Amino acid sequence: MKYQSQKVAKLYFIAAIGLFVGQILFGLIIGAQYIWGDFLFPEIPFNVARMVHTNLLIVWLLFGFMGAAYYLVPEEAETDLVMPWLATLMFWIFLAAGAATILGYLLVPYSSLAELTQNDLLPTMGREFLEQPTITKLGIVVVALAFLANIGLTILKGRKTVINLVLLMGLAGLAVFFLFSFFNPVNIVWDKYYWWWVVHLWVEGVWELILGSILAFILIKTTGVDREVIEKWLYVIIAMTLITGIVGTGHHYYWIGTPEFWQWWGSIFSAMEPIPFFMMTVFAFNMVNKRRRNHPNKAAVLWALGTAVMAFLGAGVWGFLHTLAPVNYYTHGTQITAAHGHMAFYGAYVMINLAIISYAMPLLRGREAANSNKSQVLEMWGFWLMTISIIFITLFLTAAGILQVYLQRFSDSPMPFMVVQEKIELFYVLRELTGLVFLAGLIVYIASSFVGSNEPEATAEGEVVAS
Amino acid sequence: MTGMEKNRWPPGDLVIWIFIMAELLVFGVFFAAYAFTRTNHVELFNTYQLTLDRNAALINTVALITSSYFVVRAVAAIRVDDSRRCFHWLLAALAMGLLFLVVKGAEYHHHFSQGINLNTNTFYMFYLSLTFFHFLHVILGMIILLAVALKARSGGYSAAEHTGVETGASYWHMVDLVWMVLFPLVYVMR
Amino acid sequence: MNQKRLFLRPCTWVYVTLMFLTFITWFVGVNNLSGRFFAFMVLGFALLKGQLIGDYFMGLKQVAGLWRWVIFIWLALVGTLISVAFWQTL
Ligand code: HEM
Ligand code: HEM
Ligand SMILES: [Fe+2]
Repeated sequence: MKYQSQKVAKLYFIAAIGLFVGQILFGLIIGAQYIWGDFLFPEIPFNVARMVHTNLLIVWLLFGFMGAAYYLVPEEAETDLVMPWLATLMFWIFLAAGAATILGYLLVPYSSLAELTQNDLLPTMGREFLEQPTITKLGIVVVALAFLANIGLTILKGRKTVINLVLLMGLAGLAVFFLFSFFNPVNIVWDKYYWWWVVHLWVEGVWELILGSILAFILIKTTGVDREVIEKWLYVIIAMTLITGIVGTGHHYYWIGTPEFWQWWGSIFSAMEPIPFFMMTVFAFNMVNKRRRNHPNKAAVLWALGTAVMAFLGAGVWGFLHTLAPVNYYTHGTQITAAHGHMAFYGAYVMINLAIISYAMPLLRGREAANSNKSQVLEMWGFWLMTISIIFITLFLTAAGILQVYLQRFSDSPMPFMVVQEKIELFYVLRELTGLVFLAGLIVYIASSFVGSNEPEATAEGEVVAS
Repeated sequence: MTGMEKNRWPPGDLVIWIFIMAELLVFGVFFAAYAFTRTNHVELFNTYQLTLDRNAALINTVALITSSYFVVRAVAAIRVDDSRRCFHWLLAALAMGLLFLVVKGAEYHHHFSQGINLNTNTFYMFYLSLTFFHFLHVILGMIILLAVALKARSGGYSAAEHTGVETGASYWHMVDLVWMVLFPLVYVMR
Repeated sequence: MNQKRLFLRPCTWVYVTLMFLTFITWFVGVNNLSGRFFAFMVLGFALLKGQLIGDYFMGLKQVAGLWRWVIFIWLALVGTLISVAFWQTL
């Protein structure tokens, strides 16, 4: 850590991990409700718990992105944040708003929450991922603006690197597309149409820029490869992301009442979306192979490489699986979608957050470069437990999805939804058990930051052979 | 570029070649989709292909080939350390690119004024999508060439170091290359 | 470009060839010539043009190994797919 103001990132990272725990607990609750339909009913109905699970996911990822930005922007710009106090203030506002919203979901029926928060004035509630009361959404906009101003001005004041500019572009895009959550047309086709401008253009557009720039930052720091080389890769990755991802939105416009040409546009362009993810994998391994030195923080390198691989698998491979219109005709909205959603979110955005946290946290806590060996070994256990769990969760959901598609939509004598759900219950049980392993992995991961604090730092061993 | 000695890497930055491959893949899929969809609508495709302006397509093909040729000359110029000439060839190439945009723009104007759009029929959907996607690439290629040209003018390249010129050139040739297939496929083959 | 010249630089010969093939393609087009012969002729010209652009304009002729063939491979794939599709309908 070189600049005092980077310290604020620590708050954001800690909150992110705290909310991550909450997300997983609620994931386990909905997973259990898939097996025992009345589990925790009526205290926590499925729809509420699901909403908490997904909203916590989004919120903690945002905390993580902001923390990452507060950490890496000053270091790249070679100057302190212009307004560190604003970053701290916004942290508490965001945390309070987030907590109040989650409590609102849990304590009040959703319709009462809507009434209570005057949803009638500007109706924005009731859509997946965007369930937050309008007032919370406004709060998010305020936090986002303050955040963008803070890092934008810092970048303006200091050195302008490609990494910083790409990151800023991604974060600004994130804020801009969020504005479409205020747009809630009565016509349900238009409603869905613009809803995807938030959801799809986030994860398959601007968030990928954030992902790319954080990954590039970690690789520069841990491999010592020339910045110039890394920047060139970043350019083509983001160019390819935008070329394929923007029109690729069409893969959500097949059956919602939009014109037929979307079936072509969506299929062709989204089928190419795996390319930038594949480039990221090649990029990460290439840079690590060309490294000038061995970095003592092996856990961070593991997370970075893991991100590249798992993002490609989850987004690239599992996305491609159901992205062509003739396939999506059968798989739309089945467990195949859930399988993909889990591996893609985990592989791309959970892992990149854990990667930057793994790289930055030891430094923020006063280490020279890395945690002790003991702590790193434990952290890597966390990595494998969580990553392998999500792979299995994905495989089980995929199996459930294939059966679901066949029995419910493809076979000559299709069965009703609920009949099929009973037939595939075994996979939901397996998913839940694997979810418990995931939770164990998360606990191990958190524990790793508490062990070995008194031991000396790990050192980089071995000579580097690459030029 | 002398003698029989072969290079290990293509000219320009290797990263642009990775990008070129990705772009070619997208276009290739698009072309195949056109060809195979046509098999189900032969009558329709043959009928509406007749409404396209082959003369405009000829001018545009000539414009792109000529432009590409100028870019080759620009690279040759910088290889003998002639920045000024390199700059001038690039400007000429850009002018040809502009000609392409104008002619293609006029074609679009003609179609749109007849009320034709993506929903008119499958042929027009493909024609408009494919050519417009390529149109955007012409614009992107021109932006790259312009950046290279400006740097060349200010003496930013030399015979020893001109990777940037080769990088821009390779991308521009790709834009030309794709049109070489697009032209017969969409305008002529029936 | 220091190679032996026949009046013109090699790239200029290529340019003339590209233009020539383009005019034939245009001629087939404006006269609405159809059927296997003409369709595959102009497709063949397109692939040839592509290869010339790759070899002489992009300079792949001077490159050894797999990179030498990237454009060729692309043209071969695209050419095959288009041929398969058109063959059935002509
Ligand atoms: C990291 C990037 C990605 C993330 C986080 C992600 C996440 C998701 C999520 C959560 C959904 C479910 C949305 C809903 O209906 O509630 C979804 C749907 C979908 N995703 Fe992705 N995705 C990513 C990348 C991709 C890519 C690259 C492709 C294509 C190659 C793709 C193809 C699809 C398709 C086709 C659907 C719609 C499924 C359906 O019809 O039910 N995704 N994605
Ligand atoms: C303990 C592990 C987890 C369990 C048991 C679990 C369970 C669930 C369940 C039951 C749903 C509802 C699916 C439906 O309505 O059909 C769900 C949705 C979702 N979960 Fe998880 N989850 C877990 C971990 C995660 C993790 C780690 C992530 C992200 C990294 C995640 C992201 C999501 C997303 C994006 C959705 C919405 C998917 C969609 O609409 O298709 N979950 N989860
Ligand atoms: Fe999407």
